[in-house]
Amino acid sequence: MNASSSRVDPVALLAAPAILYMLVVFALPMSVLVIRSFSGSSGPTIEAYTSFLGDAFNWRVIGNTLRIAFFTSLVCLLIGYPTAVALARSKGAVQALLLVAIILPLSVGVVVKTFAWQIVLRRDGIVAAFLVATGVWDEPQLLLFTETGLVLGAANVFLPFMILPIYSVLKLINPNLQDAAATLGASPAQRFFRIALPLATPGLFSGTSIVFSLAASMYVIPSLLIGDRFQTLATLTGRAFLLMRDERLGSTTATVLLVLSILIVTVSAWAVRPKGGR
Amino acid sequence: MASTHALLDVSGAEKTFGANRVLGGIDFSVARGEFVSLLGPSGCGKTTLLRIVAGLMAADRGSVRLDGAEITNVPTHKRNVGVVFQNYALFPHLTVAENVAFGLRVQKFAPEQIGKTVERFLDLVHLGEKASQPVRGLSGGQQQRVAVARALAVAPKLLLLDEPFSALDRKLREGMQIDLKRILREVGITTVLVTHDQEEALVMSDRIAVMNRGEIEQFAAPADVYLRPQSLFVLGFVGHAARIEGHVLTSQNGLVEVETPLGLLKAPGNFVSGSTVTVAVRPEYIRVNDASPEPDSNMIQATLTEIVFQGSKSHLHFIGNGDTPILVEASQLPRDLRPGATATLTWRFGDGLSFPPERSA
Repeated sequence: MNASSSRVDPVALLAAPAILYMLVVFALPMSVLVIRSFSGSSGPTIEAYTSFLGDAFNWRVIGNTLRIAFFTSLVCLLIGYPTAVALARSKGAVQALLLVAIILPLSVGVVVKTFAWQIVLRRDGIVAAFLVATGVWDEPQLLLFTETGLVLGAANVFLPFMILPIYSVLKLINPNLQDAAATLGASPAQRFFRIALPLATPGLFSGTSIVFSLAASMYVIPSLLIGDRFQTLATLTGRAFLLMRDERLGSTTATVLLVLSILIVTVSAWAVRPKGGR
Repeated sequence: MASTHALLDVSGAEKTFGANRVLGGIDFSVARGEFVSLLGPSGCGKTTLLRIVAGLMAADRGSVRLDGAEITNVPTHKRNVGVVFQNYALFPHLTVAENVAFGLRVQKFAPEQIGKTVERFLDLVHLGEKASQPVRGLSGGQQQRVAVARALAVAPKLLLLDEPFSALDRKLREGMQIDLKRILREVGITTVLVTHDQEEALVMSDRIAVMNRGEIEQFAAPADVYLRPQSLFVLGFVGHAARIEGHVLTSQNGLVEVETPLGLLKAPGNFVSGSTVTVAVRPEYIRVNDASPEPDSNMIQATLTEIVFQGSKSHLHFIGNGDTPILVEASQLPRDLRPGATATLTWRFGDGLSFPPERSA
């Protein structure tokens, strides 16, 4: 039922606590941060941005951030989508077990998980041993302190945030649709591209947005898995505030990260928008 | 039952889920142009049989032939069997016209032919003006018509309908049933309807296959199924009937004489003396306090317990000796009969039926 009404829906008031909370703990400090990045000794200036963007090192930092976030999202998407399909198709105890297996790791702290990955990614770790045993590698190599290692570790931590939104969309899709498409002559590939994928898009999009935003702004994981030589906007922000005590640089990098994340999520939302009835 | 002219020929179809034997080696065939119903209670195997014919499920044993070709192992998308699903399964991200065009698009028909075909089938189901609307806003009846148009647009050899009216308002159903039958006759397509609703099956079908526990108990024209049920199950599932159990005294000239708690009753049938039989009679054949009963009639005494007025007719609930419920259908409300009164019920020997005990599981 689409009751269109110009009055304020009383149910909308239920969002008020969340809005108030986010205003105080997020929007307000964020505004302070943004204002600081524009402040100079003699009034507002964009000098912080021009000097930041004028440095080639900082462009590499932006590149690092986006590349790591992109590949982390991609790995999560490729592993998460099939998992979500399996989760949505499963029933009863199997489904409960799968859900627990997906959600329980969230209760293990990021630091603990990341230290575990340090062990796994060592030269004599499980991953290296596996790759040598299967013949992919000729001799053991160090995965720790590489971008590949960082992406693997980050994807492991963020995977549930990909699976759960996709699952929540998939479980609402009528399972008969695939059968209906088959009776109309659609091959398995056509069923996937014309039915399954378009209907899963909202879930794929929210999962990817969440993982991308988390991966673009992660701080602990890169610090432990790749170290100081590799900087992202988030680690640079941390360094600016904690080590260099340069509030203006920190505010600038934080704002750049915020703008980039919003831009990428908005543009991709537009790109995958549902195509209305023609 | 296998006929050389059958469009659909299922033979020896068996399906077991765990310890549950859902289909027990079914033979089922449908002639070209025929409208056949699979009628039975839930769990009788009718939907399983439909899914096997559509290729959505594989039988453990048995074969399916369509139009002379063996299709047992052909995948669904290459079978050319249309299905209208119980909840219609319309594609929610597509418009009405795009839903109908879907099959033609995936089968790579030319765009101008797709346009023409979609228009033709939307007109056939009277949904031409809804073509560009999303399917979400449609009523249940309209959704069903989109599902029918979508299934017919790809010109399937056979159309399967899985409980297509169960999601609709009871009042709408009869009109929709007659509408759908008209549409399908216009297209001239062979159809199999799966339903648990006996009225639906009686209204729509050329033949009805009554299913019970994975077997077809009777496969015959609607009038035969109603008037000459082959088993107690068919008798009970299609229409009402009074059932009176007893023992055979004599059996001669096609007439069996049965000793029952209600007295001696006669009905057509041939049984061994002493065997257990159930005598049955449909409610519309029983007369109440008939002053001049016909000569070859059964006559029993029973007490009226309730009168249910149903508009064009009334149901009179009687109870006879041995707590035997007897339902009588009368076209007029009885004037001088009140609940608690005893009446004489009569019916001709020839109007009764007789059955051996129901086969056990």
